[in-house]
Amino acid sequence: MTTTAFYTPPTLSQKLAALLAETRLRLINVSRYPGQLGLEVIIPIVFAGMPILLGRATGGADAAANFALNTGTTNYVAYMLIGSNVFSIVSMAFWLLANWVRFEQETGTLEAVYLTPTSTLTLAAGVSLYSAVRGISAALIAYFLGCLIFGVNPLQGDVLLALLFIFVGLIPLYAFTFLFGALVLKVKESNALIGLMQWVISFLMGIFFPVAILPPMVRFFALIFPPTWMTNGVRSALLGVGFFFGEWYLDMAVLWTFLLFTPLFSAWVFRRVENSVRRNEGIGQF
Amino acid sequence: MRELGNFKMNNSTIRETAVPHHGLLATMSAFAAMVRKEFTIMLRYPIEFVASFGQVFLIIVILTLAASMFAPGGVQAGGGQTSGLVVYGFILFIFLSDTLWSIGFNVRREQKQGTLEQLYLSPASKFASLAARVTLTLFWTGLLSIGAMVLMSMMFGRLPFENGPLGLFILTMALSGTFGTGFAFAALTLRVKETGQTLANLFQFAFMVFCAPFFPFAALPGFLQFISRLIPLSYAVDAFRSTMMGYPPGYPELAPIGVELVIVTLFGLLMPPLGFWLYRREENRARRLGHLSEY
Repeated sequence: MTTTAFYTPPTLSQKLAALLAETRLRLINVSRYPGQLGLEVIIPIVFAGMPILLGRATGGADAAANFALNTGTTNYVAYMLIGSNVFSIVSMAFWLLANWVRFEQETGTLEAVYLTPTSTLTLAAGVSLYSAVRGISAALIAYFLGCLIFGVNPLQGDVLLALLFIFVGLIPLYAFTFLFGALVLKVKESNALIGLMQWVISFLMGIFFPVAILPPMVRFFALIFPPTWMTNGVRSALLGVGFFFGEWYLDMAVLWTFLLFTPLFSAWVFRRVENSVRRNEGIGQF
Repeated sequence: MRELGNFKMNNSTIRETAVPHHGLLATMSAFAAMVRKEFTIMLRYPIEFVASFGQVFLIIVILTLAASMFAPGGVQAGGGQTSGLVVYGFILFIFLSDTLWSIGFNVRREQKQGTLEQLYLSPASKFASLAARVTLTLFWTGLLSIGAMVLMSMMFGRLPFENGPLGLFILTMALSGTFGTGFAFAALTLRVKETGQTLANLFQFAFMVFCAPFFPFAALPGFLQFISRLIPLSYAVDAFRSTMMGYPPGYPELAPIGVELVIVTLFGLLMPPLGFWLYRREENRARRLGHLSEY
């Protein structure tokens, strides 16, 4: 009597279960490092605190008025806190998703992951969900805490629209980081690449300044990057600094275009790189 | 006879080439070998090389652009003094940051890689082992700082650059004290193990807030200024940037420059022996308890 093993592709509910299991695994793992979680709340506040204190000292009594002339709002505290917290979400997406393959490689589990019937994209979606939960929670706490410390009202403007810009922007953002993950898989020096990339992003998305002050060529690159639209969308919704196209729905439409295009493109690039690395015995090696 | 002759020849060869196990020559030789090892490791990661330079440059540009948003003319207004404030503070920040990681946390790396126990079984000087990491930091971070200054001058106009020799003296003393702090942090890392990573981050943030490398001390609320005055590194930041900017009105902020010089000099002279003493103490403890290779 012989037994034949048949391979049946996982169903949608099985994929969803695998995705949520990956998210749960990561959340349990990080809950064991409360110090790290605490730092994720402190970092954006300290980071925003640098330009706030520098600006207050250099601008003196006219700090808010000068800031309004250059950016469109007198509320420089909220402006900086929004920048640093969106940066914190973006940065975490890069560290957790782009570095995910590298992390599995270093811990020696990547080869095993590739032998399971679950696709890389399903697991990556699980890591993205984990990263989004961790990043947004930390950013929200940091924003409210920062506003409390610096004495400004966090609930001004259209809060729901601001949240909508963040949630719509997350998908193209994670797709973009996945694209970067392909580069990490190929080049391997992930720490250095991600470390540099997070500062390039913070510069391009206008973390503490409007992208309008950038030279035209740099501004072009800034505008083809989803976090720039996220940051400006949140600032415009809360502080009224002005949408790029004048109306919120036009800016939102741009984010939706990113949302439709970048995941497909990133998945295609990642699969190509992944196959090429797998063929060259590169998956388990680092 | 021939065998005996060969033996004699080999023996003399050994005597001529072997490095003595004790004395200054042995320490210097071990130190040179360790510096070479650190440089070799660094050169093998060219992307990290380029990335760290890019990061330094971008951090300074971002903070300077942010500060320019508070000037009436925005970016066009320029800002020699603001750039000077940020750049000179940043130089001390990056040295402290690199020291915490390259001296303090590298001990942890050796522990994880399993080479720390072997290192301590060799007759090589323990001080040379720590000092080799300092040399690398001095070289690489020094290059980064000079590069950042040149690029900032090109972008935002000439940086204030006054009192060079006195500025160099303050920087030397500040770095000496910082390296001592790095030795002490290495001792702490041996004790707290993995928590060292979180502590390094915390120390960096504490430095960013209390020692005010990116903004004047006047911007801090009163109770935070009180804490700043208790930290010698705050005086190093204040004295260094005030001196390099030619003592503009209001600077130095924490104390008269004479008092700050005394504090910074004492910090530079006392902190390295204190840090090294703490390190040896913790290392002996770890050796006695068998913790050197545990992590």
